[in-house]
Order: sequence, then structure tokens, then C-alpha cells
Amino acid sequence: MKTQMILRYLLLALLLIFLGVFLLLPIGTVLGVGCDWQLIAELFRNRIYVEGLWNSFAIAVCTTGMVFLISLGLALLYDRYDFPGKAFANTALLIPMVLPPFVGALGFKQLLGYHGVFNALLGHLGIAPIDFLSGSGVFWAVCFIEALHLFPICYLNLVTALGNIDPAMSEAAANLGATPWQRFLKVRLPLMRSGILAGCSITLIWSFTELGTPLMFGFTRTTAVQVFNGLTELESNPIPYALVVIMLAVSALLYLIAKAALKSSPAASGGKGIINSGCIPLHSWRKFLPGTAFGVVTLLAGLPHIALICCAFSTRYSGTVFPENFTLENFQLALSNALVLPSIANSLKYSFLAMFIACAAGLLVALAAVRWRLKGSGIADMLAMLPLAVPGVVFAFGFLGMSVKFSWASLLFDPVNDPVWLLSIAYAVRRIPYVVRAVSSGLEQTPEELENAARNFGAGPFRTLVKITLPLVTANLIVGGLFAFSFSMLEVSDSLILAQKQEFFPITKALFELSQILGYGTGAASAFGVWAMFFLGATLCAGALLLGKKIGAVFKF
Amino acid sequence: MAEVIIEKLTKSYDGSVKVLDGVDLRINQGELVFLLGPSGCGKSTLLRILAGLVAPDSGTISFDGKNIISLPPEKRRAAMVFQNYALWPHLNVFENVAFGLRMEKCSRQEIGKKVMEALEQVRMSSFAKGSVTQLSGGQQQRVALARALAVEPALLLLDEPLSNLDANLRDTMRREIKRICTERKLTALYVTHDRREALSMADRAGVMHKGKLSQIGTPDEIYNHPSDSFTARFLGDVNRLPCGGGIRPERLRISETQGKFRARLLERSFFGDSCEWLFEISSGEKVLVRELGAPERSAGKEYFLDYDEAFLIPAPESDDEK
Repeated sequence: MKTQMILRYLLLALLLIFLGVFLLLPIGTVLGVGCDWQLIAELFRNRIYVEGLWNSFAIAVCTTGMVFLISLGLALLYDRYDFPGKAFANTALLIPMVLPPFVGALGFKQLLGYHGVFNALLGHLGIAPIDFLSGSGVFWAVCFIEALHLFPICYLNLVTALGNIDPAMSEAAANLGATPWQRFLKVRLPLMRSGILAGCSITLIWSFTELGTPLMFGFTRTTAVQVFNGLTELESNPIPYALVVIMLAVSALLYLIAKAALKSSPAASGGKGIINSGCIPLHSWRKFLPGTAFGVVTLLAGLPHIALICCAFSTRYSGTVFPENFTLENFQLALSNALVLPSIANSLKYSFLAMFIACAAGLLVALAAVRWRLKGSGIADMLAMLPLAVPGVVFAFGFLGMSVKFSWASLLFDPVNDPVWLLSIAYAVRRIPYVVRAVSSGLEQTPEELENAARNFGAGPFRTLVKITLPLVTANLIVGGLFAFSFSMLEVSDSLILAQKQEFFPITKALFELSQILGYGTGAASAFGVWAMFFLGATLCAGALLLGKKIGAVFKF
Repeated sequence: MAEVIIEKLTKSYDGSVKVLDGVDLRINQGELVFLLGPSGCGKSTLLRILAGLVAPDSGTISFDGKNIISLPPEKRRAAMVFQNYALWPHLNVFENVAFGLRMEKCSRQEIGKKVMEALEQVRMSSFAKGSVTQLSGGQQQRVALARALAVEPALLLLDEPLSNLDANLRDTMRREIKRICTERKLTALYVTHDRREALSMADRAGVMHKGKLSQIGTPDEIYNHPSDSFTARFLGDVNRLPCGGGIRPERLRISETQGKFRARLLERSFFGDSCEWLFEISSGEKVLVRELGAPERSAGKEYFLDYDEAFLIPAPESDDEK
């Protein structure tokens, strides 16, 4: 027993060292430089940076509002009604997640750009074209694209929260005279609070720190883009460090507020559902209504992707409603570009390494916290969740800073000459929360008695882990791993900031560089984006099939 | 099969809540001993300590004279039938039962033979290749029992194994478990809060209360001669008599002509093969009488109640002890 405990504490210590070095140290490095009051004061005196902060905050609030409204409606329909194609509609909703929003932005520009599909339609109707993406239009475009990308995360949280509400709660209210609307407001909505908070806070932090989408739209007055643009003159202008500190502070504040609210949430404190009374079946034409709502949202969310596919398969797609001349030339162009093939190989290499690191660390965190209940495992769990509250830009900056500041780090993390480990670890640490939540949820749902039984029947701790525990949470580990892998493949912030030489570019940086090439760039980037989209789509579908409704647990604090 | 001796076993949680308070217990070789008690009395903790799943604060446990307190669970040979069966859903029936034998590195032939023997004993051999998740509660319970029997444990531990079954199935399984324990001469410790289960199956039964073993003896001893009022009340109804003593309802006789005291009949509860009569004595105390059959009697009328003093037991002191 003692040897077993010593071994467990040893593993926990190693884990804490890993998390300390690769999570806390990058943040500490950024804070070390950026926490300069003079620098921060200078930042707030500069109108451009203040505007950037304000815009980022406004984007976050508007995006979260849109996300909440879309996902609440759909989650209620899903939870309450039986309708044809329900399972398919639920899986199809994950489509918006198959591309990083900045690639969606490419498609969106195709739709609402001055020479886009919508204006072509207006032209056919004899109406003068409108520049949707000028002035405040670009702000709303960024919000809209981000909302369409992020709403599935909130939706999955809400569906899980609704599934956890005991139907008897609502029935008891009905029994005491509450109308359906009153039951929703007084019973179901308060009991969904944990799901709402989890979903909305992830969305809020994510959209506050999003770099790719505003960058793609040329909306430069947001903090993340200002940080990215400041990279080139970092030595002469350290303001980006201060901007990163402000981003970190705001994100941490939002995270802490959400955590505090979650603690006092009734559903989070054990108000779990026991009986599922089933959904209400709809008849005649009504049975198609929920499916239609799902279809409309999915179509809307899929439009940028459809536009992207059209663009990828056509020689010219500008000023017309439909693409002109089917071609595979864009795929050929994309593949023949010196950037593309190495970037695929690079991304695969970085993402596989990241997946293994995230799975190993995530599994250990989950085991230490849920099963072994070691002293200090709470700290490991909290640290592992930290990336949800810390913007990717902060980590990227931190790693960059570490490679300059520490000689050991410059050997391991040389962003110029060998960034393999730098990018793999940077990807991994940001994906650990998905693995931790997926595996923790599996462990929590697996009775500990099954492991006790194995010990009782002669299996030692290691054999119990291998023969019983791991097989029982395999599905969860696979899903966590799939998410870690997929999101690493399409990671934006770390990739744009840390991959500095063309030979080390991952897919996302190659995509961004391709899209900037005048002439064939958009078509080739679209073709490359289509490949990436199908890749991530297949991964998410596999995850959804493996975990079903429980997939929402992956996106929880 | 081993002889098990437990001495001065204590366990507390959070340093303050004493779950076990110096428990001493001896289980003879081949004996089926029951532990009875209300929820939270420490009986399941005792079982888990024997299995090695919980570490005691102090005390010793020996199997055939060998102290096993420092042995990890996998080295104890104390196979347990868990309350919720704890069958592994990713393994089929055969593999569930074979698990312990595989851990002992038995040969393939030996595993096949022992698994099928154990499954035949619980009448589940035809389900060997089936999934445990497709089985009914009763069938799962049988597989859990077979899994424990297959490893030929030194001590068989049963943690309320019938609590999830319906009444009819429980009766059947009671007889099955008793038969198997007797046939295999198993040393077994069975935890339950169902007194009928304990009294009908046990060679000896102990009653636990607040972390201590109140009394242990044969079913007849603990039921008819309980050492204290808690044991008396836990094992069955007890009437407080005008003389201050206690008596079980079936030990009272109703007469129209003579008896030790008078009581007014309040109501009758009919159970088919028997009935219960509720009386009130002059002090206002209620007295329950249980009889086979159901003779006609009039409510409101006064009767004499009589008893044999040899059947007097400790009377309940207050309602709190129920």
C-alpha cells in the first residue's frame, strides 16, 4: 500500500512539475515583462489600444449573446421533442466546428463581400450592391462568424444540463399550477445554470481572445490582432506584452466569475436527473418543425463552408451567385505550393505528439483527482483547466519569451531552427482540459466498485488500471484524444506566432499565408481549407458516435 | 477455507466519527456468520476492511492464525460478492468469472473447468458467453456469486447481496446461497439489515450497533435471548409489559377468562395465515399480539393477556431505539 502511494505521489509530482513548467512558467514569463505599470499606463493612454480592448470585449459580449440564443432554442427543442432525423440533426450541428472560424471567414467573404454571392443576387433583382463588410459591418461579421463556429459548444453544454434535470421537477411545478413558460423560467432555466455558465463562459473567453477571424477580415483594432501585429517590432515596442497581460487578467476574471457562479449552481451541486420520462412525440406537420429549425441553423452555419467548397471547385467565383466552371485546379495549385505538403506533414507530427502528451497528462490528472484523491490533485486539476481561461496568444507569447529568457528552454524550444517540441507542447497544454474532462467524466460514471472488485479478485493496482479502469474509459480517452488531435491540427494562435520558418509551418499558418497570395491564393486556400474541413469533420463525427450526448462533458470546466 | 479471527478492530473517518469501536469476532472454519445492524452501524466497513479495501485504524485480522492486516486486497483471498454485483461490463459472463483465476495464473484448462463448475453451481452455465449487461438482476447476482466461488476463497464476503432483488427471487437465492455454502463448507461473512435473511440462513449471527458488536450467537439465541433492548428491538417487535419486562408479540396469549393483565382490543390486522391484534392497557401503552389463524374477536371489548415468564426479554427503553 505504501509503495503504491509513494508511486502515485511521485507521478503527481512529475505532473505538477510538467504543468508548472509548461503552463505557469509561460504565463509567468509574460507577466514578468508585461506587468510593468508604466507600460500598462502607456497602453491605456493610447487610443488605438483602448479601442482594440473595447472592440474585443464588444465582440465577446455580442458573440456570446448570439451563441446563447441559438443554442438555448435548439437545446430545448432537442430535449423536449421527438422528431424525424433527430440524431442526424444533432450530429450535423457539429459542422460549424469543422473549421477554425478564420477559414469560415474566407467563405463568409465570398458570401457577403462586395463581389460576393448576396450582392450578385441583389444585382439580379436590380438593387445596387451593398458593402456589408465595411464600417460596423465587419464587426458584426466577426461576431456572426465566431457565433456560428462556437454555438455547438454552448449547445452541447445545454443539452447535457437539460438531460440532467429530473423531469419530476418540472412535473411537480405543473402539478402546482405553473404554466409551461413559468416552468421554464422558474424551474428548468435555474437548473440549467451550470450548463449555461459553462457554455457561455467558454464562448466569452474564446471570442474575447480570438485572433484568426478578425485577422482574416482585416479588423485590426482588436487586442489579439494588435498583439500579433506587434510581434515584428517586439524588441523596440514591448506594448504587446502589456496587452497580453490585460487579456490574461480579463479572461481570468471571467473564468473566476463563472467558477464562483457554478459553485452556487443547484445543478452543479448534485441535482442530477434520475429518471428520463422521454420526449414528446410530435404529429402531422408539427413533427417537421424542430428538424427545420435545426436545418436552418445548420445551413446558416454551413454557408461559409459551402461557399468555401464552391470556391475551391471553381475557376472563378466572384460577382456571381453560383461558382463558374468546375475545376480541380485549385487543389492541384494548393498541393503544388511549396507551403502545403510540408505543412500537412508538420501538422501531423506536431498534433500526434500533442495528442500523446495531452492524453498522458490528462489521464494522470483525472486519475489523481477522481480515483486516487491525492493531496495536491486538486491543484493539478485546477492547473490543467487553466488553458480554458488563458488565451492562446498568452501561451504563445510565454513560450516565445521562455525561449529567449532561459537557456534550457532555448535548447528545447528554438522557434527559428527547431520548433517541433515547442509547437507540440504548446498545442498539448491547451488541449489537456478536453482530455481531463472527457476522462474524468468517464471515471465519475464508472463505479469505483468495479475496480475494487478487481483488487478483491487478485489484480494489483497496475493490472486493475490496465484490465479494468482503462478499458472502461477507453471511449472517453479516445474522444479526448480526438479533440486534442483535431484542435491541434487547426490551432491558430500558437501556429501563427510560434512557427517562424516556412519549413516548419503547420496547416493553419500555411492556410493563412496562402490566402494572402494575390491571384490564385483564395482558390488554393479554399481547396486546402476543404481538405482540413473534412478531416476535422470526420474526427468530430467519430467522437459524437462514441460518446453520444455525453460529448458535451468535454466542453466543461 | 480459513478460520478468521478479528481482534479489537477500530476505524474512524475524519478522525472523529467512529465507525468501528473495538470489534472482536471469530468465524470458525466452514461457518456462515451474519452481521446485522441498521445503516451506518459499521457492518459494511468491517466487510471492506476484511477485503482490504479499507485500512483499519488499529486491531488485527488473522486467517488461520496468520495476520493479514498488512496484505493488499489482491493477496487476501477474501472474495467478495458486492451489493451492486460490480460485474465488469466490458467482459462477458465467462471472463468475469475467470478474472480471479487469470490473476492467479491458472492454466487455460483449469480456468475453463473451474469457471464452468462455478457457473453450474449457480445454474448459469448456459449464459457463459453472454454479456453481463443483458442479464436480469437475479442472474447478475448469480454470476457475482460464481465469480467469488471460482477462486475458492479463504473467506467469502457477501455485502447485502440480495438487497436489489424482488421478494420472490430473494427467497430463492437465500436457499441457493445457503445450499452452496453448506455444500462447499465455505467460511463466509454475510452482511445484511434484513433480519429474516439472517435468522433463516445463519449458523451464527451478530448484531452491530454504533460500531460495536452488541451480541453474537445462534439465530435462536439472539432472537429469544437478546442481551440488550437494542438487539431485542432490532430482531423483532417487543411489547413493554406492565411488569417492566419485554415480550415478543407471538409469545402472548389472548383469553376471555384469565391472564396476567387486562387489555382492551383496538384493531385487527389480517395477513392470511396469521393476524395481529392491537391492545391498549390501562396505562395507555399499546400491546401487539400475533397469532396463527384469525379467530373472531370484537374490537372495544376487554380481554386477558397471558405469557410465560421464561420468554421475557429486555424491554425497549424509548422509541429512539427502534
